[in-house]
Amino acid sequence: MVNIQTVTVIGVTGTMGANIAGIFASFGNAKVYCVGRDIEKVKKTIPRIVQSVKADSIAKNLVPADFSTLEDCVKQSDLVFESSKEDIAIKTEIAKRVGAVLQPHAISGTGSSGLSITKIADCYPEELKSHFFGIHMFNPPYTLPLCELTPTKYSDSKLKSELEVYLKDALRRTVVEVKDSPAFLGNRIGFQFINEALQYAEKYKDNGGIDYIDALLGSFTGRAMAPLTTSDFVGLDVHKAIVDNIYVNTYDYAHETFVLPEFAEQLVADGKLGRKSGGGLYQLVKYENGLKRQTVYDINTGLYRDVIPYAFPFADKMKRRIAEGDYAYAFERLVNNHSQEAEICLSFLLKYIVYSLYATEEVGYSIEAADDVMATGFNWCPPLAMYQALSTVAEVPVLIKERLPEICEKIDVDHFLADVKPSKYDYRIYFKSGRKNK
Amino acid sequence: MSKVYILGGAQTDFERNWTKEGKGMVALLKEAVADGLEGAGLTFDDIKKLNEDNRVSCFVGNFIAEKYVNQGHLGAFLTEVNPAFYGVPSARYEAACASSSVAIDAAATKIRADEYDVCIVVGWELMKTVESRVGGDFLGRAAYYEKEGKGIDLPFPKLFGKLADETLKKYPELDEKRYMDALAKISVINYSNAKRNPLAQTRKWFMSYEQASTRDTDTNPLVGGKLGVSDCSQVTDGAAVVVLASETFIKERKIEGKPIIKGYGHRTAPMLFEKKMEDNQRSDYTLPWTRKACVDAYKRANLTVDDIDFFETHDCFTSSEYAAISAFGITEPGKEYEAIESGRIAFDGDKPINPSGGLIGCGHPVGASGARMLLDLYKQVTGTANGYQIKGAKNGMMLNIGGSATTNYVFIVGTL
Repeated sequence: MVNIQTVTVIGVTGTMGANIAGIFASFGNAKVYCVGRDIEKVKKTIPRIVQSVKADSIAKNLVPADFSTLEDCVKQSDLVFESSKEDIAIKTEIAKRVGAVLQPHAISGTGSSGLSITKIADCYPEELKSHFFGIHMFNPPYTLPLCELTPTKYSDSKLKSELEVYLKDALRRTVVEVKDSPAFLGNRIGFQFINEALQYAEKYKDNGGIDYIDALLGSFTGRAMAPLTTSDFVGLDVHKAIVDNIYVNTYDYAHETFVLPEFAEQLVADGKLGRKSGGGLYQLVKYENGLKRQTVYDINTGLYRDVIPYAFPFADKMKRRIAEGDYAYAFERLVNNHSQEAEICLSFLLKYIVYSLYATEEVGYSIEAADDVMATGFNWCPPLAMYQALSTVAEVPVLIKERLPEICEKIDVDHFLADVKPSKYDYRIYFKSGRKNK
Repeated sequence: MSKVYILGGAQTDFERNWTKEGKGMVALLKEAVADGLEGAGLTFDDIKKLNEDNRVSCFVGNFIAEKYVNQGHLGAFLTEVNPAFYGVPSARYEAACASSSVAIDAAATKIRADEYDVCIVVGWELMKTVESRVGGDFLGRAAYYEKEGKGIDLPFPKLFGKLADETLKKYPELDEKRYMDALAKISVINYSNAKRNPLAQTRKWFMSYEQASTRDTDTNPLVGGKLGVSDCSQVTDGAAVVVLASETFIKERKIEGKPIIKGYGHRTAPMLFEKKMEDNQRSDYTLPWTRKACVDAYKRANLTVDDIDFFETHDCFTSSEYAAISAFGITEPGKEYEAIESGRIAFDGDKPINPSGGLIGCGHPVGASGARMLLDLYKQVTGTANGYQIKGAKNGMMLNIGGSATTNYVFIVGTL
C-alpha cells in the first residue's frame, strides 16, 4: 500500500471537500491541509469536518490553510485531492499550480463528477501525468462508500493498484474503476433515471407532474429517496451540469432522456435550485409558529402548491406487502397491474436494468460495477438485484421485450441480458414501505 | 442422550433500521426464518413433513417486544411466517439480553432428551421503534426496575459504569489509566473486527484508539460513570436463527461435518447490582457467577481454556468484556489488562474475542444476541465465517448475559 501520511484537500469549504477531508483524517489518519479561498471560512469548516465522521479525535489532523500557502502544503503532501468548483478553467488552473510543486512520489486526484480527467492530467508536467487520477466520491461519503477511480492513458498501473488498495483498505471505500467518460458510471445511470423521471413529470403535468412521478417511483420501488426529491436535494444546477455534460459528450440509445425539460431550465435560470436555495422542484414552507408545509412546483401554473397525497391502488398494495416482508407478492402486483401508474413504474425499473447493463459495458469493466455504484453511491436497489427481485414473479427478459419494445429495437437487449448474474446485494433491504409512525 | 448438532442458520443485516424501512416484526421474522432454514439446508416442506411426525419444535428468544412493538405471545408468531409452522410447537423464552440463550438451552434439552429431532431457535428484537431514551427505560426492566431503573436516565450504562468503578475498587493495584485504556482497546478491537463482518452494524463507522480513549468530548460523551459512548454497544434491530438437530436426524439425512454443542453453563447472580458486589467479596472475580457458568461449561465439555480457539462474549459495555476475560480463564482475575495489552484477544491473537465484532461492533438486538453468538461459533468451527474466519478454529465459547450480569449463559461449540 502507498504510504499516505500527509494530504492536501483543495476546496475544503464545499460539502464534498469537507466530508472527504474527514475521510482522509479519520480512516486514513493523515495530516490534512484544508485549503480554501478564505482562511476564516476554512476555520469555520473544521468543526463540520469533525462532525462528518463523529470523531473529535481527528481535529488535531486538520490544518487550515488558504491558497497563499497552497504550494507549501502540496510540497509536504503524499496525496493532493482537488475538490474545487466543477469548472474546467478553475480545475486546470489549480492543476498547474499543484503540478509545479508536487513531490515526485506523490499522487494527485480530482473529485470531479464528470469533467475530462485526461484534460486535467494534461496540465501536469510530463513526469507527473502518470500520478493523476479521478477519485470521485458520493455525498455523504461517511454513509455512501462508493469511490469511482478513473485512471487516464498516462496513469502508472502499479501506482493505480496501490492507490486502489489504499482507498479500499485504509479509507474503507467501495472502489469501482471506471473509464474517463462523462459523469462516469454512477451518475450516468442514476441521472438517466432521474432526468427521465423529470421529463415524465412534464409529460404528465396534467396528472400532477413532479409529485405524481415521485409518488409512483418512491421508496417502495427500491430506493431511499424518490428521484425528483433526490434532484431537489442535490440541486437542479448540479443535475443540469451532469445531464448537459452527458448529452453533449456521449451518444447512446437513451440520448434524448438526458435533455433537461424546459421548465427545469427556467427554474435553474430563476435560481430555484432546490433545498439549498430554499426551493426548486419542491419548497418547504416554514411558518412562524414552527409548522412546516411541503409544497411542490406545479409545471402547469408555475406556482407552488401542496403535495398531493396520491393513492395508487398498485402502490398501496405493494407497500402493504413490503411492510409484511412479502416481496414477491409486492412485485406480482407491480407486474400484473395495468394501470397507467403501474406501467410507468415498471417501465422505469426495467429501463434502469437495461441502461445499467448498457452503461457498465461502456464505462465500467464488469457487470458488477453497475451494482456497486448504484448500491453504494445512490443507495438504490442495484440493477442485478432488481433483476433478481422481479425474477421472483416474472421472466425479466420477456417482460423487457413486452414493455420496452422501442428500446429493444435500438439495441440488442439479449446481448446485455446474457451476462446477468446473481447480485451480491440483497434486494429486500432497498424496498421500503415508508417510515412507520413512531 | 442425543448429541446436539448445529445445522446452521442466518442473521439479518444488523445495519438495517426496520422502522425506517417501514417493516415490522412479521417482515423481520419472515426474512430471518427463510434465510435461517436455507442456511441450515432445510425447506418449509421439510418442516411440514417433520411436523407430521411431531419431530420439530420452535424456540423464540425475545426480551421485551411488549414494549418495543406492543406485542406478546411471540412463540405463536411463526405461524405468520409460513403455514408450514401451523401446528409446530413453539414458545417464547425470556431472560433479558440472554433471552435467546434460554431458547437455545430449551431447544438443546429437547434434543438431548430425544423429544424432537429439529429445533429452530429464533432470537429477535426491534429496538429502533422508539427514541433511544425511551428504549433505555424499557431496557431498565432487565434490572430491578423499581429500584434500579424507574425514573433513571439510561440505567444500564450507569450499572456497567458502576461495574467499572467496582473493578478498580476490587483490584487496588490496577491503575485507573491503565484500566480505562484497556477498555478503549476493547472498543477498538470490536470496531475493527466488525469491519470484516458484512452483517455488522458498525462496519462503516469510524473508531480509533485516540477517539475511544478520549472520553467526555462532544463525540464521545460520558454515558455512565467513567464510560463513554465508545464503551457502549448501540441500539440495534435484528434477528438470528440457528437450527439444532439430533443424531438421528444427522444420520437419517447423512449430513456430515456439523459441529455440536459440547457444554453449557447457566448461573443466575443476585438481581440487584449492589447485592452482586456484596456477594463478590468472597471471590477473586468481580462477577463470580459469570465465572462459575464458564467453569460449568468447561466441566460439561471436558475441556479447558487451552482447548478454546476463540470467544464470542457479551460486550454490551467494555467493562463487561473486561470481566469476561478472567471469567473465561484467559488471565487471572485482576490481570485482564495483560491479555488486552499483549494483543492476545485481538483478531490475530491466540485467544481472539469477538471476531464478529461482538455487541459493540456487530450490534446488539438484545433478544437476538445469544442466537447470533451461537451462529458465529458455528460459522467459525465450520470454516464458513469468510472475511472474519479465525484460521483452524475447532472449539469456540460464548458468553451471553442478561441484566447486569444476572443471567449468565455459556455454550461451547466444537467439531467432533
